[in-house]
Amino acid sequence: MSPTEGGRLTEADRTTLATVLDRLIPAVDDLPGAGEMGLAREVERRARRNHRLRGALVATMDALSLDLSAHAAGGFNALEPEAQVEALEEIERSIPDKFTPFLQLVYTVYYMEKSVLEHIGWTTGPVQPDGFDVEPFDEAILVNARQREPFWRETE
Amino acid sequence: MTQTSKADQIADVLIIGAGASGAAVAWKLSEEGFKVVCLEQGRWQRPQNYVTGDADWELRALTDWSFDPNIRQRPEDYPVNDKDSPISPLMFNAVGGSTIHWTAHTPRMHPSDFRVKSLDGVADDWPLTYFDLEPFYDLNDEMMGCSGIIGDPANPPRSPRQMPPLGLGEDGKMLVEGFEKLGWHWWPSDSYVNSVPYGDDRGACNYCGPNGLGCKVKAKSSTDITYWPHAVANGVKLRTRCRVTRITVDDEGVATGADYLDRNGRLRHQAAKSVVLAANGIGTPRLMLMSKSDAHPEGLANSSGLVGKNLMFHPYAIVMGLFPESIESWKGPMGNIFMSQEFYETDSRKDFVRGYTYQIIRDTGPASHARGGINGPIPWGESHHDAFASSFGKSIGMAIIGEDLPEDHNTVTLDERLVDGSELPAPKIDYTLSTNSRRLLDDGIENARKVLEAAGAVDVTVNPLLRAGGWHLMGTARMGVDPEASVVNEWGQTHDIDNVFIVDGSILVTGGGVNPTSTIQALALRAADYIARERTEFRSESIAQAVAD
Repeated sequence: MSPTEGGRLTEADRTTLATVLDRLIPAVDDLPGAGEMGLAREVERRARRNHRLRGALVATMDALSLDLSAHAAGGFNALEPEAQVEALEEIERSIPDKFTPFLQLVYTVYYMEKSVLEHIGWTTGPVQPDGFDVEPFDEAILVNARQREPFWRETE
Repeated sequence: MTQTSKADQIADVLIIGAGASGAAVAWKLSEEGFKVVCLEQGRWQRPQNYVTGDADWELRALTDWSFDPNIRQRPEDYPVNDKDSPISPLMFNAVGGSTIHWTAHTPRMHPSDFRVKSLDGVADDWPLTYFDLEPFYDLNDEMMGCSGIIGDPANPPRSPRQMPPLGLGEDGKMLVEGFEKLGWHWWPSDSYVNSVPYGDDRGACNYCGPNGLGCKVKAKSSTDITYWPHAVANGVKLRTRCRVTRITVDDEGVATGADYLDRNGRLRHQAAKSVVLAANGIGTPRLMLMSKSDAHPEGLANSSGLVGKNLMFHPYAIVMGLFPESIESWKGPMGNIFMSQEFYETDSRKDFVRGYTYQIIRDTGPASHARGGINGPIPWGESHHDAFASSFGKSIGMAIIGEDLPEDHNTVTLDERLVDGSELPAPKIDYTLSTNSRRLLDDGIENARKVLEAAGAVDVTVNPLLRAGGWHLMGTARMGVDPEASVVNEWGQTHDIDNVFIVDGSILVTGGGVNPTSTIQALALRAADYIARERTEFRSESIAQAVAD
């Protein structure tokens, strides 16, 4: 794997990105990991639309390609899963200003996925137009608060 | 070449900025028959298009609907160099300004906030009192629509609210128990969010949650749906996508209008008899510093040297409590549950002066929760799913809004290199959190722990200083009596230039320990009232006559 050229991911990059996603958000219950779910394409697509997120993705992928252990092994995908996690942890430490928005993007794409939302019990979809039901305010709850004498500080 | 307005297009009042305060002034002066023009660099928003109805709404909060202009990077935004500040300034450029994405939590400042020098020996007293401002708070409440309930013992009595309080939610009720066990103050927040339908075609809140992304049902007040429709109906000319480049003055230094770039990038001039700056606590000093002239070599109305100095934020600390069972803490507006002002006033036993408000805050959606929202992300890797499941919908937060006293080394200046999309210099922020503010926040953190534990929290996490917390931009063209120690007088009129007024957060002498927008709007209405009563020479004869007739 070589550093991304001109900010565009190669097919090899995409394969690596899928592995990265699996390390970041592994499988749970009947849900595969984020990479195995095929979210790498969506991460790339969403990043392409935003300068900051695109920069974060490219910087993270470039950092992975330059990681010495991955380089020695013949690429990030060739590393054992534990070593992949270590490589990502190192990148998180070394370029937090890039890794953090990259992780935010990955989380966001993952938690937009219908199967994920079903798994966590988020059945509403977007919060509008339905919103949520909340009971109207009941003044009875103020019975104690109303007992208190005024305590604001007078000035005159 | 600058295209100049014709004689009959000379505005009585030219307002720069269509946000919280500019809208209030535009409405008030148009009601009084003034010919008003407003220049706004943003656009009209369409509530039906707000992103909370879209599948990718949580992504949009991270991109083109971010609170942070440096992240959002819309064409109408300008960058802010905040590398030398631990707090990032937040703002929105549109008709409605930052009221598009505020939470509309609207407590008032206290009487003591206007007398901090007399009471506590710090900063300066204001040249007016709470009670001078009270009628304008009331007027603003009526125009914006306030949900709440009278009887709060932490505040002076006030007029009945337009609507009952918003529902507390199960999470809110749980936290109330914590305050009550400790015997500490809590009270339903005054909020400019409709608990029942109020205003023109404005529905009741449906408790969707992330009202910071705009409110599709128009339950949350923003000035594009409150003041502006009335102002426009009164004849105010509101020109959007117009970026002001400088305030112009004549040889005597009197303001004559403003140069601006229109939506096509053409340089134009709007002539005016008076100018009102309403571009927020960063945008206004930026524009004043960009408006140097022979008459005002240090910047517009800057003979005191105080334009851009004494920047105040409200530094936020956030304390989140994790509860063992789901309390569905995504249900309801994110920042309008209730507040506590138990520790608002100075306590001589403590090692700091002034105080703070607790604003109770909620989680929002799953992605926002995973990203960490306000207290750091859920860890990635093998522990991710357990960490998510054990916290989503189970946490509620306490935001500590601490009073941040003015210090002249906290500044807005013009960046020497960074520019906006029109090649105009970007503002640079230099800000250091003071020892007093740090101690105040630490006290708030410790007391918040007690509340959350009393309410049954099984874990408490702390963000001691929220970086993305610079919602409140204040103090950079402060109000005062002494022209050498302030920029404007009690009416927002600059000491140096008779026909230039400032009405945004820049003019606050101190910031109090509350969200400041209702105070800023009340000050704006008071300034407009002064102009209408005392500066009738600004008003066009024909219109004045028509009004008289």
